[in-house]
Amino acid sequence: MTTRTHPLLILFTVLVYIFLAGPLIIVFGASVSDTTYLTFPPQGLSLRWFENIFEISAFRRTIVTSLELAFLATGLALLIGIPAAYALNRYRIQLPTWLSTVFVLPILVPEIVFGFSLLKSVAVGASAPIFLALLIGHTLIVLPYCVRVISASLASFDFSVEEAAISLGSPPVKTFFTIVLPNVRSGVIAAFILAFITSINDVSTSLFLTGPGVSTLPIQILAHVEQFFDPTIASVSVLLMLLTIMVMAIVERTLGLTFLAK
Amino acid sequence: MTLPLTIENLTAHYGTTRVLEDLSLSVGAGELVSLLGASGCGKTTTLRLVAGFLEPTAGTIRLGGKDLTKLPAYKRDIGLVFQNYALFPHLSVLDNVAFGLKQRGVAAAEREKRARQMLDRVGLAQLAERLPGALSGGQKQRVALARALVIEPPLLMFDEPLSNLDAKLRVDMRVEIRQLQRANGTTSVYVTHDQEEAFSISDRVAIMNAGRIMQFDTPEVLYQRPANAFVARFVGFENLIPMRVSRRTGAEVTAEAPGGVALQFSQDKFGPIPDDFVLATRPDGLAVTSDPNVEGLPATLGLRTYLGRAYQYQCETEAGALIANGQLSPPLDIGAGAKLVPVPDQCCVLKPEHP
Amino acid sequence: MKKRYAGWILASPATIAIGLFLILPVAATIASTFGDEKGLLAPYYAFFNSGFRRGVLWRTLEISLATTAISLVVGFLTAYVVAKSPGRLKSILIIAAVFPLLTGVVVRSFAFLILLGKNGILNNFLVGVGITDQPFSMLYTQGAVIAAMVYLFVPLMILTLVGVLENIPEDVVQASASLGASPAATFRQVIFPLAVPGLIVGAVLVFTGSFTSYATPQLVGGERQMVMGTLMYQRAMVSFDWVGASTIAAIMVVITISVVLAMSRIARRLNPMAT
Repeated sequence: MTTRTHPLLILFTVLVYIFLAGPLIIVFGASVSDTTYLTFPPQGLSLRWFENIFEISAFRRTIVTSLELAFLATGLALLIGIPAAYALNRYRIQLPTWLSTVFVLPILVPEIVFGFSLLKSVAVGASAPIFLALLIGHTLIVLPYCVRVISASLASFDFSVEEAAISLGSPPVKTFFTIVLPNVRSGVIAAFILAFITSINDVSTSLFLTGPGVSTLPIQILAHVEQFFDPTIASVSVLLMLLTIMVMAIVERTLGLTFLAK
Repeated sequence: MTLPLTIENLTAHYGTTRVLEDLSLSVGAGELVSLLGASGCGKTTTLRLVAGFLEPTAGTIRLGGKDLTKLPAYKRDIGLVFQNYALFPHLSVLDNVAFGLKQRGVAAAEREKRARQMLDRVGLAQLAERLPGALSGGQKQRVALARALVIEPPLLMFDEPLSNLDAKLRVDMRVEIRQLQRANGTTSVYVTHDQEEAFSISDRVAIMNAGRIMQFDTPEVLYQRPANAFVARFVGFENLIPMRVSRRTGAEVTAEAPGGVALQFSQDKFGPIPDDFVLATRPDGLAVTSDPNVEGLPATLGLRTYLGRAYQYQCETEAGALIANGQLSPPLDIGAGAKLVPVPDQCCVLKPEHP
Repeated sequence: MKKRYAGWILASPATIAIGLFLILPVAATIASTFGDEKGLLAPYYAFFNSGFRRGVLWRTLEISLATTAISLVVGFLTAYVVAKSPGRLKSILIIAAVFPLLTGVVVRSFAFLILLGKNGILNNFLVGVGITDQPFSMLYTQGAVIAAMVYLFVPLMILTLVGVLENIPEDVVQASASLGASPAATFRQVIFPLAVPGLIVGAVLVFTGSFTSYATPQLVGGERQMVMGTLMYQRAMVSFDWVGASTIAAIMVVITISVVLAMSRIARRLNPMAT
């Protein structure tokens, strides 16, 4: 386009991005401050608040729980989500249209309602262990991402390639793993990453499913903020941001960052 | 209103790649000129420069007396017909056609009247209230045409307008475009990669390659007297035989083909013939004979294919691989020796490519 | 025979999981609000008879509508600039919007908390520059919650709308220019109408997200700015009034689903590219 953007509009965009980045930069600054209270710009320079994270056992425990949950929930969601996505694309004609609507439901139902319902029915009603209830909850909230992202990949996959492989003598199940899956690899990676990040950051579903014994990192952060207002939380936040950067780096390595733009 | 378009010394770059080099072109008032070439030859770039969607690095574009070069696209007053129609999907057919009139401040009642008249001319009056999504490809292209014509621009430009239509519709539409253009007498630039389309529709055609115009002339001249090897190949002179003059007697010239075969040429017919030249023929312009006494290029016949009106032979000669159509019955044997005789009426003489 | 059931067999584990662990529990929660001994709709009478709870619902609607409106304007203008930027700058701007989105709600709400707090950075700045001499708490106000929510949802809006704007074919915009429409006229008559369905999608995402949010209003709004999410948590986990909490849950479900259905119907009707 040869038309230029209005300077006021450019200024506005710059301000929006400052508004978006500012608070995160402040958190970063506050996390390395040598003070016992949150301040910015940081006074002194210290990593002691990062050490402090690991001295608080609740953080140690919840970090482990959150990672376990994220890996297990993502794995389970992929395990049941990939066949579902495949079925929805490959057997579209045989399956009723409402079936794909079912896979949107976990997004449609407010997470906080879902978490509360799981507490009532699964944790209390079926007296399931808290970790199991959390795992069920996380698996279901990340499942739609898996199905949707992989469906999008499969939608551009030409299934006649699969038929060609089968006609050449490759059994259907083997064909799925040797022909179909490698062609939707980027979709699977993207689904994994989206699901993992969603699980790690989840508050609303986990809120009702945590107790004194088992909790997740975001819930622990919320609890900590209400009692102490020290830079530990800033440090934990920075750790989580580093995780985000790591994830984006993985995406950049495997799929190229333009993938995120989609 | 109709104005001549003058392009002078136009140069354009995409980043650091030069896509157009010192291009000059004059389109007379009311004339339809096609820019013809393969993709990447610079024809679409030229159109986009004239339309104002690209900025040239050098050169000027003038329409009538007005210099367009620095003018933003929306002030150029050029009717554009796009390859993908580019209809506004949220507006009805009528509103699509009336869009340009609205930008020109034409009152609502008047622009509806004019848009409906124009739709009537392209035969779509009954579809005025539809959305573009509900139209077929041919109908969409008619709407696009009506939309560009209704603003009565001094210049119309077409960017491969028929390439998304099926073969039958393409032929009908190009006749229709030509009729509308003639009736309005609007100066037009037509970009296409389809030679038949360009030749059938245009007053003159500019054949382009690598950002330059190779030859700019009427379809008849281009088809019968290409000026260089590129244009010759483009219009179907598939056989290019390097020749060297061995003797001149008055207007008569004797020249030798590789392998030492001498052929006679008359300068009365071909114009002045340089000492080194290239003889260009279409497959139809090379007769095939099995008679060993005829003077011609000795050839070994390779693959034979049946064209219906003739057999086509892939021939190996001293001048390289040549293609000849032999109207022979019975067909000649593959692998046999034969003579190839250029038919003077169907040959042309070109300057060598690398003098 | 095997072929006929293959689709069902492959889709069944996920379908059953959703049915068993999502549809059933949520249905049970909603069902538990009916047939109280005091009458079929007693919990709903209780909810709407309480001025406080009505106030919470009203406040939540206000906050989420304001958040949606502001995010729409801010997101659309920003997305327009981003979509028009040249290649490399565009990817940087998109990545800069993806980063906050991938950084969790808790971290970002906390960041806003330390920005706004009494000893917060904004106050120190205002005092330092001399705009005020007394630090004042901006926390626990409706404005603070809306600002934090806008901060939370603008990246989502930007990314949604950049996608929408990039889907508008370049030649349609050029056609508009070639017909004499100035850039402003093209924006009003072509780009904006074509972006409306996308704006609706973005608005739905932001509205439902902010209407059902918990962490941000809890951190930035506290008890003083109680919203549906925090009220529900309080009923369930502090007062152990599960029927009351379920009632709030049911109201949230009804409102979100009706907004989604209504808006997607409107969006479908307005989408000229769908046909």
